[in-house]
Amino acid sequence: MKWTTPRIVEIV
Amino acid sequence: MNAAPERVIVDGTSRLRFAPHVKFRHDETRGRWVVLAPERLLLPDDLAVEILRLVDGSLSVNGIVDDLARRFEAPREVIAADVTQMLQDLVDKAVLAP
Repeated sequence: MKWTTPRIVEIV
Repeated sequence: MNAAPERVIVDGTSRLRFAPHVKFRHDETRGRWVVLAPERLLLPDDLAVEILRLVDGSLSVNGIVDDLARRFEAPREVIAADVTQMLQDLVDKAVLAP
């Protein structure tokens, strides 16, 4: 599988 | 007055787990993995989920990187840098702890 930089969106 | 708590630095030997009151689970309604933290909802993308599923307090960061390096097409040092940066950010936010 291809690796991409992990991202986390933070929202409460 | 108490001094600020010393910052935990994540390296290859770090063994991290989710902090108390933080839940990592699959949200059936949204159909995706979420991290529930006090007053915060974190939505990890697919790669971040792959990393977080390996965070259980038993694997070291090196162990997590080894697992990912076997499954993903990228130089190990690239994976290690991305993983370490993501985990450091989550430790700084008190989502993960040693």
